Amino acid sequence: MVKFGIEFVPREPYWKIMYYALQAERGGFSNLWITDHFNNRNVYVTLATAAIYTNRITFGPGVTNPYMVNPVFTAQAIATLNELAPGRVVLGMGAGDKTTLDTVGVEMEKPLTAIQESIDIIRKMINGESVAYQGEVFKAAGAKFLFKPKGKIPVYVGAQGPKMLALAGKIGDGVLINACHPKDVEYAVNCVKEGVSASGKRLDEIDVAAYTSFSVHEDLKKANKAAVRVVASIAAGSPPQILERHGIDVKKAEEIKEAIKANDWTRAFSGVTPEMISAFSVCGTPDLCIERIAELLKSGISQFVVGSPIGPNVREAINLVSEKIIPHFET
Amino acid sequence: MDYGKLVESVAIQKWSVLFDKLIDLILTSKNDDKMPSQLANTLLSHWQKDVLNTQTGLTVLLEAAVLLEPEKTVAALTELQLTNVAEQLKEALVKT
Repeated sequence: MVKFGIEFVPREPYWKIMYYALQAERGGFSNLWITDHFNNRNVYVTLATAAIYTNRITFGPGVTNPYMVNPVFTAQAIATLNELAPGRVVLGMGAGDKTTLDTVGVEMEKPLTAIQESIDIIRKMINGESVAYQGEVFKAAGAKFLFKPKGKIPVYVGAQGPKMLALAGKIGDGVLINACHPKDVEYAVNCVKEGVSASGKRLDEIDVAAYTSFSVHEDLKKANKAAVRVVASIAAGSPPQILERHGIDVKKAEEIKEAIKANDWTRAFSGVTPEMISAFSVCGTPDLCIERIAELLKSGISQFVVGSPIGPNVREAINLVSEKIIPHFET
Repeated sequence: MDYGKLVESVAIQKWSVLFDKLIDLILTSKNDDKMPSQLANTLLSHWQKDVLNTQTGLTVLLEAAVLLEPEKTVAALTELQLTNVAEQLKEALVKT
């Protein structure tokens, strides 16, 4: 049976996120993912609050990157979280987004190697080992916790490109596929399968999640309107081959990019087409969302992540997912 | 302002709709910075115990709603035909 996850961005204050997190937990969601960007509130403080207020939902950063935070600190943070909420902590690791890294002058050096090495270090640290590591990107000379970490913490790899997806399948306990359209998710799962096979595992041994931009409302227009602001950014940042795969005019995406650069959000949002909404979000009435999720499930995903914006009214949207969408997939 | 007294005068049948209105005002408010952390923690503690839709919980929600969205709160109470509560709140707000 498919699991449902939900993503929150700690640009919102902790009390709003905790309200929604508890609501989601009660509504049948099994995973809570908190994004990690330096310009929002801190991911681990938010997750520690979630550890205190929630009771059974699994949670973790979705995703953090090894460039902004050294892997030993990531290991420390999640090992400590796992003391607060044993068995409920997972770690989402990704290469980060280049624009944000550029803002703070951090280079995205060898992302595949960085992810592989950082996860290796994190796992060793969590295992209580002394880590002597001579990697291409990361080095450690006898790094070891002065406390005894407890339990196993599953590591998910956030991925979009074919090589990272294959690596995710190879080394991850789970994969967070950054895609919304069945064509993209199917392609991604096939890449993950390559990595899974290479490591001698089966696909059903790992948790394969579609991490989507999601918007639900009983009124389709309202659902679309909420999705537009997220879709505009995704369309503007998508490479031409992805746009062409969905029959999206590359020029139109370029125009949105220009408008965003000029901080002209009205122009950017007005440039979003129905094709873009369909390609880069799961959006609509509960019935339309069910239809889309059912299509995505055919690709072999085991978790569906309801990501930003969730809906024009987040509380109502969580209720819609809990009352109309999740039950549909439980039967 | 005695928020507890205001909530006390609300008929129990209206608690559910009042809860919906107040929590929506709070969660959709852009005035996050006006929420004192102590009050936010109390709200979350009540939510964790699932008692927000009780007299005690509604008292916390009303206080938070008034802090974040005073005019909208008065309008919401009026819309719910809680005229007496809306009037008392309005008077209190004018005095402060």
